[in-house]
Amino acid sequence: MKIKKNRIYLFGILLLVAFAGFSFTAFKDSMTPYVSYDRAKEGDRIVQVAGALEKGSYSYAAARESLFFTLQDPKSKQTLRVRYKGLKPANFEDAISIVAIGHYDEKAKEFEANKLLVKCPSKYQGAEVEKTYS
Amino acid sequence: MDYLSHIYLPGAVALWSALIFALATMWGYALSLTAPAGDTGALTFARRSYSFFALAIFLTAFVLSMLLMARDFRVEYVFQYSGMDLPGYYQLAAFWAGQKGSFMIWLFWGTMLGLLVRKTTGKSEPAVMGIYTLTLLGLLLILVRENPFVMLSRTPVDGQGLNPLLQDNWMVIHPPIMFIGYAATAIPFSFAMAALWRRKYDGWAARAFPWALGGFLVLGTAILMGGYWAYKTLGWGGYWGWDPVENASFIPWLFGTVLIHGLYMERTKGRYRRANYVLTFLTYISVLYGTFLTRSGVLADFSVHSFVDLGISGWLTLLLGGFMLLGLYLIVTRWKEIPTAPNEDPMLSRGMFLVLGTITILIAAFVITAGTSAPLLTRFMESQSQVGPSFYNRVNLPIAMLVAFLLAFVPYLTWKGNPASEILRKMALPIAFSVIVAVAAAVWRVRDVFHLIFILLAALALATNLQKTIDKYRAGGFKAMGGYLTHVGVGVILLGIIASSGYDQSTKVTLTQGAPKKLDGMTLTFKRFIPRQGREKERMEIEVAGAGRAPFMVYPKLFVNDRTRQTMVNPDIKSSPFQDLYVSPIEFDPGQPRLELAKGQSGQIGDMEVRFVRFNLEMDGNAVAALNAGHSSTVGAELAITKAGRTFNVTPVYRLNPATGTVETPPTSLPGGGTITVAGINTGNGAVQIETTGVASPMKLSIDVTRKPLIQLVWGGLYVVLLGGILTMIQRFRQARVLDRLEA
Repeated sequence: MKIKKNRIYLFGILLLVAFAGFSFTAFKDSMTPYVSYDRAKEGDRIVQVAGALEKGSYSYAAARESLFFTLQDPKSKQTLRVRYKGLKPANFEDAISIVAIGHYDEKAKEFEANKLLVKCPSKYQGAEVEKTYS
Repeated sequence: MDYLSHIYLPGAVALWSALIFALATMWGYALSLTAPAGDTGALTFARRSYSFFALAIFLTAFVLSMLLMARDFRVEYVFQYSGMDLPGYYQLAAFWAGQKGSFMIWLFWGTMLGLLVRKTTGKSEPAVMGIYTLTLLGLLLILVRENPFVMLSRTPVDGQGLNPLLQDNWMVIHPPIMFIGYAATAIPFSFAMAALWRRKYDGWAARAFPWALGGFLVLGTAILMGGYWAYKTLGWGGYWGWDPVENASFIPWLFGTVLIHGLYMERTKGRYRRANYVLTFLTYISVLYGTFLTRSGVLADFSVHSFVDLGISGWLTLLLGGFMLLGLYLIVTRWKEIPTAPNEDPMLSRGMFLVLGTITILIAAFVITAGTSAPLLTRFMESQSQVGPSFYNRVNLPIAMLVAFLLAFVPYLTWKGNPASEILRKMALPIAFSVIVAVAAAVWRVRDVFHLIFILLAALALATNLQKTIDKYRAGGFKAMGGYLTHVGVGVILLGIIASSGYDQSTKVTLTQGAPKKLDGMTLTFKRFIPRQGREKERMEIEVAGAGRAPFMVYPKLFVNDRTRQTMVNPDIKSSPFQDLYVSPIEFDPGQPRLELAKGQSGQIGDMEVRFVRFNLEMDGNAVAALNAGHSSTVGAELAITKAGRTFNVTPVYRLNPATGTVETPPTSLPGGGTITVAGINTGNGAVQIETTGVASPMKLSIDVTRKPLIQLVWGGLYVVLLGGILTMIQRFRQARVLDRLEA
């Protein structure tokens, strides 16, 4: 009886270790680090970049449902051209800050965003309006 | 005295007296702990102090509400979250719209709950209430520091108004309920810590059990409401997004789930006697930790609705650290003394399955905590990161499957263990049911093997527990069925989640007014734009035909808030028993655009191509000379318009009177109907802005159309869980009362 119990515990511990390993890989896979534009341009993984919308830099190609714009880093003043396939988010023009999640497309020399988080000026402490739901 | 002149005294005095009475309460309870038997002077003093403390907190909240109702904008908090145009009803929502008010409502509920807790403590009152008051003191100190009654040095005529997103019925009801749930987690914690402190390890579980259940229920209700709000009104597309603020309420709920099972085990089998101290600790600490994560600004860049730092991170850290140290100290120093019963259950027994189930849910809670803390964990690495919803979904899928598996067997397992053949025989009907459900799912659309197993297990959990609920009801009425009913609900929710999230179909489409558009089996037609009528905002009328039923209309809303110029979106949902059709507007093009054209540039309005030829400065004498002389000056914009192959010229004018500053822009008629107007002149680049009316330019509406199968199961299942929980709670309060009679 004693031995059987120990075996069950051992099995349980193995299962836990396996699950911990699985969680850790899932964690690493879905991690999207905030990076500088230079780092993003290495294009090796999904990252998020943040910046301000450069004035007058956006255009919307309705036929292809694609949005193009330039992000500017408020500190370093570096810029990054971004392409987003999808409809233009509401309040896009008023955004004080935009977070783009995606990866850098070497060929097109553009950052290809799969998701945009548009933060609008708001009095509610930090109540940004954009969806993060996908 | 300078500080005093910048504070609204009636409120602040109430707050400060609350602090004094809270300290007096703790002092009184401390004295009564050491008082000789029969000497109840200190206890009476402590009770009175607590009552005064509660009164002071009530007054503090009352004064703040009155200031909001009176729209007294001298007070900074009122100025920040209220406004003249805010309806009275939402003044209540403004109470908890900001950081300070949220802590206030939390403290308010905590204090009021304390009045009830006091009556259920029996002989352990001094220690339990002492620790409970200490938890309230932590919140109170934050408020004393971040005083909500700070006044501005001037008196603004209007406030900044409440964020339009929060002007919603859910905002009136959801946050206060959430904070009752938060406040309630401190109750089992206080019972447990008091038991450790006094080294009286018996009896507290029975008293804390109904409170743990109550907290679990209230928090669950609040989470349900939050999901409903996100789904029905905010148009976030789903009810759950694994956002840090959502997780901050879900993690304590998971710990609370484990805690009520632990307390159940302690009450029925005398097991989990050590674990329950840790579980009350985890439940309460996770509330503080979640508050720290979402309120201290560490996640500001990562969440949809985290609050920015108000300068209270230090206090929150202190609060979190303080209670962690206190809890850990008591648990570690008493650990060896706590009586335990060894685990001698065979593998196939109810006890063993409960242990496995609690471990599984604990793992879920820790994994979600780790995910939510990702920005904190990666802070010192190369780059700060967060993890996306995919992490939570992937990790929780196997966890949910294991939970469903365990739930399915629990009803027919006995404490002593029974043979597998007997269990399976009793489960014959449920097994048949779940196989049918899984086959139906496979026939429908589910091809993923893991999802099929998930559905099989969830259906099995639903069915065995339902069978047992019916048995229990037949045997003993409502009394004994609560727990099983809750598990039925869990099975239902799991089925709803997998169907609505795993098999939803979403399409983004742009509709032109009057032009039907086919979209997988449906025909959508954007009929018309309905202007604002009173308090009813602008709506879009869309006809949906061929969705397997008679044509119907949906009315999503899209409007601009007058005050903040924010674009607001309200989806419309057409629910049918098997799916929701979720229509959320994305962008509306009213079809009468302004064009800004530089010299020589052309643009399209409706069926016209407009080219800006040049400015005409000689419309009514020389415009520049007139302007310099201070006379009324007229500028014409020569436009070449091409329509249906014909080109004609029009010259609408822009008249400025520099003396009065008035601008006149008379509309110019267009051949074939409609008018054109110069809306403005951009002196910077010499461009002209033109506007048309009555030109055939169709309205366009972009929408997101999502079909969410079986989402009703998510809501329905949650209601079943809550109903089962209420039945159990009533039962446990009754049992705790029996204990009072025994002690007396």
